[in-house]
Amino acid sequence: MQRNTISNQHIKALLVTTIIGVGMLSLPSELAMILENDGWIAIILAGLMLIPFLIIIDKLFSMFPNKSIFEIGREVMGPTIFGIILIIQAIYTIIVLAYTVRIFGEVIKVYILETTPIEVIIITMLLATAYLSRSKIEVLGRMAVMIYPIIIGLVVFLLAVTLPDMDYTNIFPIFNADYKQLPRGIMTAVFSYTGYEIIFLCYNYSDDNKNTLKYVLRGLIVVTCVYLIVFFTSLSSFGIYQLKREIWPSVAVVKEVNLPGYFLENLDGIMLAIWVIAIYASLTSIFYIGGAVLSNISKTKTHELFILPLIPIIYTVALLPDNLVQTNEIMARIISYAAIIARVILPIIIFISAIIRKRRSRA
Amino acid sequence: MNISKKLKENIETLKSILKDCDDIIYRKIEIGDKDKTKACLIFVDGLVDKSLISEYAIQVLLQCTESKDNMNINMIKTNFLDRISAESIAVHDVKEEEDLDKIVDEILVGETALLVDNCKKGLILSSRGWPTRGIAEPETETVVRGPRDGFGETMRFNTALVRRRIRDPKMKLKATKVGRRSKTDIAIVYIEDIVNEKILQEVMKRIDEIDIDSIGESSTLEALIEDDYLSPFPQIESTERPDAVAASLYEGRVGIIVDNTPFALIVPATLGTLFQSTEDYYSRWPITSVIRIIRIICAFLSVLAPALYIAISSFHPGLIPTVLTFYLAASRVNVPFPVVIEAFLMEITIEILRESGTRIAGPIGSTIGIVGGLIVGQAAVEAGIVSPLMIIIVAITTMASFALPNYQWASGLRICRFAFMVLAAVLGLYGIMLGVVILFAHFAKLKSFGVPFASPYSGLGIKEGDLKDTLIKAPLQRLRFRPKFTFPRDKKRM
Repeated sequence: MQRNTISNQHIKALLVTTIIGVGMLSLPSELAMILENDGWIAIILAGLMLIPFLIIIDKLFSMFPNKSIFEIGREVMGPTIFGIILIIQAIYTIIVLAYTVRIFGEVIKVYILETTPIEVIIITMLLATAYLSRSKIEVLGRMAVMIYPIIIGLVVFLLAVTLPDMDYTNIFPIFNADYKQLPRGIMTAVFSYTGYEIIFLCYNYSDDNKNTLKYVLRGLIVVTCVYLIVFFTSLSSFGIYQLKREIWPSVAVVKEVNLPGYFLENLDGIMLAIWVIAIYASLTSIFYIGGAVLSNISKTKTHELFILPLIPIIYTVALLPDNLVQTNEIMARIISYAAIIARVILPIIIFISAIIRKRRSRA
Repeated sequence: MNISKKLKENIETLKSILKDCDDIIYRKIEIGDKDKTKACLIFVDGLVDKSLISEYAIQVLLQCTESKDNMNINMIKTNFLDRISAESIAVHDVKEEEDLDKIVDEILVGETALLVDNCKKGLILSSRGWPTRGIAEPETETVVRGPRDGFGETMRFNTALVRRRIRDPKMKLKATKVGRRSKTDIAIVYIEDIVNEKILQEVMKRIDEIDIDSIGESSTLEALIEDDYLSPFPQIESTERPDAVAASLYEGRVGIIVDNTPFALIVPATLGTLFQSTEDYYSRWPITSVIRIIRIICAFLSVLAPALYIAISSFHPGLIPTVLTFYLAASRVNVPFPVVIEAFLMEITIEILRESGTRIAGPIGSTIGIVGGLIVGQAAVEAGIVSPLMIIIVAITTMASFALPNYQWASGLRICRFAFMVLAAVLGLYGIMLGVVILFAHFAKLKSFGVPFASPYSGLGIKEGDLKDTLIKAPLQRLRFRPKFTFPRDKKRM
């Protein structure tokens, strides 16, 4: 029996369940606003962009087998610089959590619980999340595998109920967008891949590190496909003009559906109920990252200590913006910039300094 | 304490240890016709097979004479005990014992001690024989097709029932005693070349570490060796079917048979195994497959049905078709309580009904059934206390709960139902989903002897095809390998 290790299958499920979250609801309209009908190009390009980073991570971990990202970072960059990076990462994680839980609260308030104050929704969700994120990574992995089919089922459900009412001509014209906007579109799409950092934390726990990259890439393909399906279903059901007006088009699409002979009338409620599970999975993983980062800054043995104290902080940050517009503008922007540091620059810096370190030690 | 040479002294000591134990019988006899040797048989009245002792021990000893044996008297003196055990006593198992405390232990188990004057050893005659129930059909796990023998209260008979199904020298049976006072016999059963060493060692270790005065039933043992004692769910399977234990041993699991109870324990248990019943393997595969899926639906229903009713009728009436919403509202017009109160009222009534029905069996039990059924079914509706729809929900929930093959597991889910109802009353559908994810997270956290409890749904064994025998049941020809979750050493079944 292997203890404290997880299989590649768990890592793949963790990757998929962590990434798919709030982005699933808002991505189509955000992309449509920037790139019109060609938003899908941004999704694919953003997915492709991540591949080199995943390969870098794989290389990094194979250079330092059986070491965690924290050990590697401290070894190659020195404790001070790495400490600063960790602090940035911690702040970034807290903002991501706050943003996710805020959007979650807003969506639930609009579609499921109109009269319940958003504070209640946020705090209950955070408490429920804390229950799981206090456990070890293997438990998170097991949970991810259990949730994985539910999320895939959710997407299949979305596709199945919207398929009869779709108008495929809405997809056209393709390749017609203003390509100067492409970088902005990609930025938005990359934002929806938030949470792939969980890979940093579970890579070294894999029981079969040779094949991990393969599984991670498969997970990335699954995520990209999910986003493409969400984008195309919303686009073909609404058409580009209406799509731009919707905040959460994937829910709105389902709300329009009214199949005869159905036991359930408003499918959006059902979809969002299942979507709660998806959000829970991403929140726990990011929460775990936050706890792990903080425990490494303060050099405690377990990350559990930091989970409960983080709740009031996240709660406060989540309620800072006055409304949804502010949330999307301020928080999303901060996250986008912080994401560049946390996800693009960080692996590259560690990787380069690791290579330098290795060369030096050889010479 | 060592045995003394004088029989009288020995009896005195025994009597002082077993003071005020009036069920102990000291039968004094004299052996031989010329040089009479005093001897004493000590046993507990009721625990021994009386005809065996009187016919094959007492009678034989009384008829034993030196003249018949034609032996040197000194040799008889020195090897007296060997001679009696070899030639005179006609009991199937005899052993020697020098320690008086151990002799006391053996007497209390139901053996007979034979102490002879001038001997520094005592003989223990295997004479256990107490009134037993005999092999009866297991009451909680009946089958339409399949063997009808169930475990009894005597450990030795139970191990025999398992042994009968596994005639393999590799099937090992390790006996220990647990409980400082109760000294309950426990047998750990496993098949040596299938079971994973680590699971077996974990079981041994946990049983060794137990320090308690008595083991009442196997549930006491279960509570002491399970991984998370705070969880409402069982992490160890219990069964009163020997065929279930045998089948589990073939899967590489470990059986624990406890004396004084017909319920044996099987470890490790997972979400997959808790949905399995022995009859699954005696019916045809498509039927079993459908039933397995129905069981999973039942598990969800037994937890969620009343909560969903509360959530939909008080938070999201828009979720269900408009016609149904109107019907729901119309049926609740006369009901004076809010839905939550109504649901709690009915659920608690059902729990009372179930509890009284379980404790009182037979003719009174059916009376309770009729009274309860009438009150719950008709009177409550006609009096306008609950709506008819609520009755249907409660009925479905109860039936779903009893459709699960493992009673403990179903009970755990039943308790969760109340938490879900509260969640639904406070936070509607969102609250229910919150409960569901916490429940899932709890399953993900649980372990059973190092094996993730949520297997195979949480990953372990999915690739190896464990779902073929948990989510559904594939035809036997497709189940060529043992399930992965036990990490069996011998993987191949056929």
